[in-house]
Amino acid sequence: METASQGRVQQHGIVGMSPGAYARVLIFFLAPAVLVYTLFSVYPLLDTIISSFYSKQNDGSYVYNGVANFVTLLTDPTWSAPFWNAFINNIKFFLIHMLVQNPIGLLLAALLSLPVLRFRTAYRTLIFMPTMLSVVIIGFTWQLILSPLWGIAKMFLQAFGLGFLFGPWLGEESTALITISLISVWQFVGIPMILIYTALLAIPDELIDAATVDGLNQFQAFFHVKLPLIWPTIGLVSVLTFVNNFNAFDLIYAMKGALAGPNFSADIMGTLFYRVFFGNQLQLGDVSMGATIATMMFLIILCGVMIYLFLIQRRLQRYAF
Amino acid sequence: MADVKIGNLHKSYGTVEVLKDINLQVEDGAFVVLVGPSGCGKSTLLRSIAGLEPITSGAISIGGRNVSDLAPAQREIAMVFQSYALYPHMNVENNMAFGLKFAGVPKAEIADRVNEAARILQLEPLLKRRPRELSGGQRQRVAIGRAIVRHPKVFLFDEPLSNLDAALRINTRVEIARLHKLLKATIVYVTHDQVEAMTLADKIVVMNKGRVEQVGKPLELYYRPANLFVARFIGSPAMNTLAATLDGKGKAAAVAGVSLPLPAAVSGTGEITIGFRPEHCSIGKTGIPARVELVERLGETGYVHARTADGAALLVEVKGDPGLAQGAEVRVAPAAGHLHLFDGEGVRLAGT
Amino acid sequence: MRKPVSAFAVHAVLALYTALALFPIILVIMNSFKAKRAIFNTPLTPPMPWNFDPIGYSKVFGDSAIATYYMNSITVTVGTIFLTLLFGAMAAWALTEYKFRWNTALAIFLSIGIMVPIRLGSVSIIQLVSDLNLINTLTALILVYVAQNLPLAVFILSEFIQQIPRDLREAGRCDGLSEYNIFFYIILPLLRPAMATVAVFTMIPVWNDLWFPLLLAPTGGKQTITLGVQQFLGQYITDWNAVLAALSTAIIPVLVLYVIFSRQLIRGLTSGAVK
Ligand SMILES: Nc1ncnc2c1ncn2[C@@H]1O[C@H](COP(=O)(O)OP(=O)(O)OP(=O)(O)O)[C@@H](O)[C@H]1O
Ligand SMILES: [Mg+2]
Repeated sequence: METASQGRVQQHGIVGMSPGAYARVLIFFLAPAVLVYTLFSVYPLLDTIISSFYSKQNDGSYVYNGVANFVTLLTDPTWSAPFWNAFINNIKFFLIHMLVQNPIGLLLAALLSLPVLRFRTAYRTLIFMPTMLSVVIIGFTWQLILSPLWGIAKMFLQAFGLGFLFGPWLGEESTALITISLISVWQFVGIPMILIYTALLAIPDELIDAATVDGLNQFQAFFHVKLPLIWPTIGLVSVLTFVNNFNAFDLIYAMKGALAGPNFSADIMGTLFYRVFFGNQLQLGDVSMGATIATMMFLIILCGVMIYLFLIQRRLQRYAF
Repeated sequence: MADVKIGNLHKSYGTVEVLKDINLQVEDGAFVVLVGPSGCGKSTLLRSIAGLEPITSGAISIGGRNVSDLAPAQREIAMVFQSYALYPHMNVENNMAFGLKFAGVPKAEIADRVNEAARILQLEPLLKRRPRELSGGQRQRVAIGRAIVRHPKVFLFDEPLSNLDAALRINTRVEIARLHKLLKATIVYVTHDQVEAMTLADKIVVMNKGRVEQVGKPLELYYRPANLFVARFIGSPAMNTLAATLDGKGKAAAVAGVSLPLPAAVSGTGEITIGFRPEHCSIGKTGIPARVELVERLGETGYVHARTADGAALLVEVKGDPGLAQGAEVRVAPAAGHLHLFDGEGVRLAGT
Repeated sequence: MRKPVSAFAVHAVLALYTALALFPIILVIMNSFKAKRAIFNTPLTPPMPWNFDPIGYSKVFGDSAIATYYMNSITVTVGTIFLTLLFGAMAAWALTEYKFRWNTALAIFLSIGIMVPIRLGSVSIIQLVSDLNLINTLTALILVYVAQNLPLAVFILSEFIQQIPRDLREAGRCDGLSEYNIFFYIILPLLRPAMATVAVFTMIPVWNDLWFPLLLAPTGGKQTITLGVQQFLGQYITDWNAVLAALSTAIIPVLVLYVIFSRQLIRGLTSGAVK
C-alpha cells in the first residue's frame, strides 16, 4: 500500500482542517477577550507607567523627563509629605486588617468547621452578608451609627457602663483611620472566613481522628494538625488582603471625601491618587503626578505579590497535602 | 460497509513514538479486536483511524479511499467511547439525532433512523430520558445507538464494556456479537478482556509497545503464538515458559536438568525458551522436577504453583483436588503436541 | 482536659458575631420606615403602625432619577456579565483545547489581570474613553468591567473546561460538528454551573463599584445606583428619613438577590477556592 503522506508536517491537532481554518478558529475564540483586555486593562496600565516618566510643560505638551516625577514625589516636601503620610496610613490600614480581620476570619472559620454544628449554613450566610453590600452603603451606615447626633453607639457603650469611652471617633485625627479600618474589617471578614473555612473542610476527617487517637484534644488538634495544613490558604488570604488594601479607595472616599480628613489623617494611596489626578479644592489635577502615584501603587502591589509568590507560597506548598 | 487498510503508520507525541510502523488490513465486515498491555497504543491507533489524532506518517484508507487527511466526520466512521461520551444536556433521542441534524439529514429520515436504532437496542421506552437517568448498561446501548444511526462504514469501539459490572458485561458482549451479525458491519474493537477478544473477534491484533506482534484468528493465537510476547499475553492463566538448551540433534531439549523429547525435529543448537500452558501439562512420574509452593483449590479445578530448582515458576491446572501439600516434590510433564518453542529472540522456531 | 469545646460557647460566639454583622443593616432598614421623631427617640424599636412614616421613600423615589440609576446599574451589570462570560468562555476554550505556539504565553498574559487591579490604569482609561467618545456612557463602564473581570473568568472557566471529558468533544467531532458548534452546542451548555459562579463573582463588585462610575460616568443621568445613592446622600445629608430610605433602597435588592443565590455563591466561592 502506498504511503501517501510520508513525513507530513502537522501544525495542530485537528485532523482535516487547513492551517488557515485553524487560525480562523483561534482568532474567533481569542480575539474578543484579548482585544478588550489589552485595550482596557493592559494598555492603560502600561500607558500610565509610561506617563509617569513624562511631565507637562507650560504649553500643555508632555516631555520625557526620566524619573524626575518619582524624585519629586519622594523628596519634594509638598509631595513627599502627603505621599509618606498616605503610605504609612495604608500600612496601618493593612496591619489592622491582618491583625483583626484575618484572625477573626480564622476563628469564625474554625468554629464553622466543627464537626457537629447546627445552623452552620445560617451563620455562614449571615456573617457573609455585609461583604455583599456596597462600600458606600456600609460607610454611610456606620457614619450614622457612630454619629453623636443619633447616639446609637453611645447608647450601647452606656448600656455596658462604658459611656465615657464614646467620642467622635470619625472626626478626630487620632482615631479616624483606625475607626474606618475597623469598619472595613467588619465588612470584609467574610472573605477570609470563607476561604479558610473551605480549606478546613478539605482536610480529611481521618487526620483529626488520628490526632485524637494520639491523645490530642480539640484545641491541640487544631493548632498542631489543621493550622499547619491551612498555612497556604492563610498566605493567599494575606496577599489578597494586601492587594485590596493598597488598592482601597471607596470606603474612605464615601465616609470622608477626597480629602480623607481630618487633616488627611485617613488618607491612603487610593485617595491620594484620586486627589492628585482629579484635583480638589486645594490643588489642580495633575496627570503626570497621578500616573506617578499609580505607578508607585503598582510597584508596591507587585512587591507584595512577588514576595508572596516567590518566598511565601513556595515555602508553604511543601507542607500542603 | 468497507474495509480498512493501514499502511506504515507512525505516530509520535513530540519525540516519543507511540505507534511504530503499523500495517493492518481489516476486511469488509470483519470484527477485529485490538489487545495489548496498557499503554501499548491501542487507543491511539483507534483514534488515528477515527481521525481524532493526526498521524505522523503513513496512510489510512477506508473503503479504498485514502482518509489520512480527512476530518472524522468525513471518514464515515462511528466511535463508541469507553466513557460513552453521551451529551449530558440532551435526552436519548437528541443524543442519537444530534450528529444527523448537523449533517443535514432530513427530519423524517432522522426520526426513522433513531426509531430503528431504538428498536434494535430496545431503547424505545428511554428516548425522552437524560443520560444521568440511565443505568450503565442503558448508557452503553445509547452510545451504540448513536453510532448506528450514522450508518457508518466502520464502527470503532474503545473498551466499551470496561465500565460495566461482570454480569452486564456478558450480556452486552452477546448483544454486540448479535449486532455485528445483524448489521454486517466492519468493526475495530479495543479491549483488555481476553474473553471478549476470543469470543467476539474474527481476527485479533496483539500489540506491544506501539508495534503489532501478531495478527490472527483467536485460536491461531492460542495454539500457535508467533512469539513469546503473544504466548504469554494470550491465555489465562498465562503460559509457563522455561529456558532450555537444544541437544544438537534437534530431538530433545535440556530443561532444569532433565531431557525433554521434542515433538518434531528442530534444526540448530543453543539456548531456546520452551512454553506450555497450565491446562496442557500434568503432574506425574516423568517431566520437569519442581517443588510445590502453593495449592489453590477452586472445586472443579485446582492450581498447583511450583518452582524448579533454578527458580522458574510453573503453574499446573489439575482436575478436581490436586491432593498435594506444600513442599512436595513433583514432576511436571507437558502434554504431547502442546509444547511451544521460541528462539533466543523469542520468535517461534520454524517448523514447530 | 479532654472535654470538647462547649457547644454553648461556640454558638454564643457565632451568634454574637452574626448579630454584629446584621445589626447595622437591620437598624437602617428598620428606621427607614419610621417617622423622624421615632428614629431619634426610639431607634431600636421596629416600625409599628404608630411610628410608621414612608416620607423618606417618597423623597427617594420622588427624585425620579433613582429609577434611571437602577436601570443603569442593571444594564451595566447584565452587560458586563454577559460579555465576560461569553468572551471568557471562548478564550478559556481556545486556551485549553487548542495547541498553538503562544498558548502558554497568552494564558500568563491574561492571568496578570487577576492580581493587578485595573484601577491603577485609570489615568489612561479616562483618556482612552474620551478618545473613543464614550465618556458618560454605560458602554465605557461595561468595557472596563469586562476587561477587569475577564482574567478571573478565564481562569475559573478553564479549570471547568478541563474537567469536561475529552471524549465528549471528540464525540462532537465524530458527529461532524465544526469547532464553533462544538463550543456553542456542547461546551457552553455544560459550563452553566461554572458560569453561575463567575456571574456571582462578577456581579457583586460591578454593582457595588464607586470608582469607575465616578471617573467615567459621573453625570448626565448615566450614574449607577451606587454612585447615585452616594450623590443623593451627599445632597440630603441632614434629612435622616431620606438618607435611611436611600440606603435601604440600595441594600434591599442586593439582600434579596443574595438570599436567593447565597447557596450558589458560597458554593462558587468554596469550589473556586479549593483549586
Ligand atoms: N496526548 C498524549 N501526549 C503524549 N503521550 C500520549 C498522549 N496520549 C497517549 N500518550 C502515550 O501514548 C501511549 C499509548 O497510549 P494509548 O492511550 O494508546 O494506550 P492504550 O493501549 O489505549 O492503553 P490503555 O489500555 O491503558 O487504554 C502511552 O504510553 C501514552 O502515555
Ligand atoms: Mg486506551
